[in-house]
Amino acid sequence: MPSPTLAVERLIRALEAVTRLAGAIAIGLTLLLILATCAVVVMRYFLATGSIALQESMSYMHGAIFMLGAAWTLRVGGHVRVDVFYRGASPRAQAWIDVAGGLLFLLPLCALIFWLSWDYVLSSWAIREKSNEGSGLPYVYLLKTLLLIMPATLMVQGVAEILKNLLFATGRGGAHVGEKVEPL
Amino acid sequence: MAEFIPLYMFAAVCLLLMLGYPVAFSLSGVALAFAAGGMVTGHFDMAFLHALPNRIYGTIINTTLIAVPLFVFMGVMLEKSKLAEDLLGNMSRLCGTLRGGLGISVILVGMLLAASTGIVGATVVTMGLMSLPSMLKQGYSPSLATGTICATGTLGQIIPPSIVLVLLGDILSTAYQQAQLKMGIFSPETVSIGDLFIAAIVPGLLLVLLYILYVYGYALLWPERAPRESRRIRAGELLPVLGPLLPPVLLIIAVLGSILSGAATPTEAAGVGAAGAMVLALAKRQLDFRRLREVMTSTTEVTSMVFMILIGAAVFSLVFRGFGGEELVASLFERIPGGVFGATLVVMLVIFFLGFILDFIEITFVVVPIVAPVLMAMGVDPVWLGIMIAVNLQTSFLTPPFGFALFYLRGVAPASVLTRDIYRGVLPFIAIQLALLAALALWPGLITWLPNLILH
Repeated sequence: MPSPTLAVERLIRALEAVTRLAGAIAIGLTLLLILATCAVVVMRYFLATGSIALQESMSYMHGAIFMLGAAWTLRVGGHVRVDVFYRGASPRAQAWIDVAGGLLFLLPLCALIFWLSWDYVLSSWAIREKSNEGSGLPYVYLLKTLLLIMPATLMVQGVAEILKNLLFATGRGGAHVGEKVEPL
Repeated sequence: MAEFIPLYMFAAVCLLLMLGYPVAFSLSGVALAFAAGGMVTGHFDMAFLHALPNRIYGTIINTTLIAVPLFVFMGVMLEKSKLAEDLLGNMSRLCGTLRGGLGISVILVGMLLAASTGIVGATVVTMGLMSLPSMLKQGYSPSLATGTICATGTLGQIIPPSIVLVLLGDILSTAYQQAQLKMGIFSPETVSIGDLFIAAIVPGLLLVLLYILYVYGYALLWPERAPRESRRIRAGELLPVLGPLLPPVLLIIAVLGSILSGAATPTEAAGVGAAGAMVLALAKRQLDFRRLREVMTSTTEVTSMVFMILIGAAVFSLVFRGFGGEELVASLFERIPGGVFGATLVVMLVIFFLGFILDFIEITFVVVPIVAPVLMAMGVDPVWLGIMIAVNLQTSFLTPPFGFALFYLRGVAPASVLTRDIYRGVLPFIAIQLALLAALALWPGLITWLPNLILH
């Protein structure tokens, strides 16, 4: 029978695996977005042609970068804080603030976005919504699905953060905000 | 009392933000708590929140905002490939023998760096790490050195292509259309990001010029507090110094030029700029797989941070509207004496103080959509308003004891530099900022002249 702390740590690792995956996709897309933009520019100015599908793919990548990257950013402590007092607080007080904020602010927000978006996304899937442009991408329903993936992944990482901070605040180890985060 | 709920909500947000939980989630969390309370007591209709998915989707497919990750990438790449450090080294060798030469090169490099990152924190920290040690070593007084760095760091907001101007342009154009529709104009004019970029040039360069004059004048009056290098640069040394200066400067000019001339959209220019920054880093042998991954990672983090604030602010503003906040603000504005001038002054003061707790991005997303349509309906020019907000916030970020720039610099300054030195150092720069604000208010032409000249 493993200790409860160990079990929680294992759970945290499992949750963060989801975040890593979403984050890795977002990070990879930044470079692709640059390449796509340059391709659009070259086509427009040097070849005098354009591809609506390629231009729309830029929106897809742009959207995916921040919708999939939000959870990763939470993990590394990249969401900006007003740290006038936070900075001076003890690490333990900081951890408690993050537990409270996660429970009271983050999780309800994620639940709300997920719940509000559910019908919105489903109705898009029902008709396999396409671009309004004839030669555009026929994957609007997939793009809109980001509205469910973002709150879901953010909630997964939110739970992981709450658990980590609880372990830390109660003196059972665990990393604190953004510390000991190895790069992807 | 129910009509004042939007104000209570605003106050509650400001208070709870001080706890230090990420801004994006605090904004929406507080708003949701109010919404829940309002639904129980019958003051809030849940229907207002149903616009949220469409708002978020609108952000995803907004083609102008694609410029944000691209500009972030360009800035981070220039910074991480040490291009900025080389710039400073070369520039200070070039200006070193001038009175206040090192300080002046810090301002010039800061301007270029600012133009490429546009994020206050990043610029102040980078400049602080890069130039503070060398300024102190050369015998600059700590207050002059820190004041110069803080002020230069905030230039990023006003010097195009700054990311906040991209975001502000997007918000202002929506607000402007709303205002015109309310006034019964059904084929509304628009404000583009290009307009804001062009409008920012004159005020931005004026600021740089005033900063330089100040440092030069200071060095004339107190040469011992801003000593110059003794060694003169020989003509033969000029080429190796100027050579490396050129590529990044040309890149930034090309990116700006293509936007300003209308040849490219901001997004296209940003994409090519990002690719250009990669080429420069590659040419300098500063780009390997590991660094590329670092740049991509921090691009993702900054972009997510920005857009999560946008989403949090959207939740906030939907709830704010659901409680009748827009009508409340409009009616408060009518009660302010002094008409347009009075209302604008009050807005500027409010934004100045909010600048103590909120960063530019949050103010753009939370405050501007609330106040801008009302002011524009009163006849305020949108581009002028945008630039005034930018210079105003820049001043706010410099003002002790809460200014953001001061915190960022304090974080990287050695302990030998007293916080008092930093405060004293920024005071003259605050005076310069206020003078510029007054000038822009008195002569709006300083802002509107160039856009009118180029675009009409």
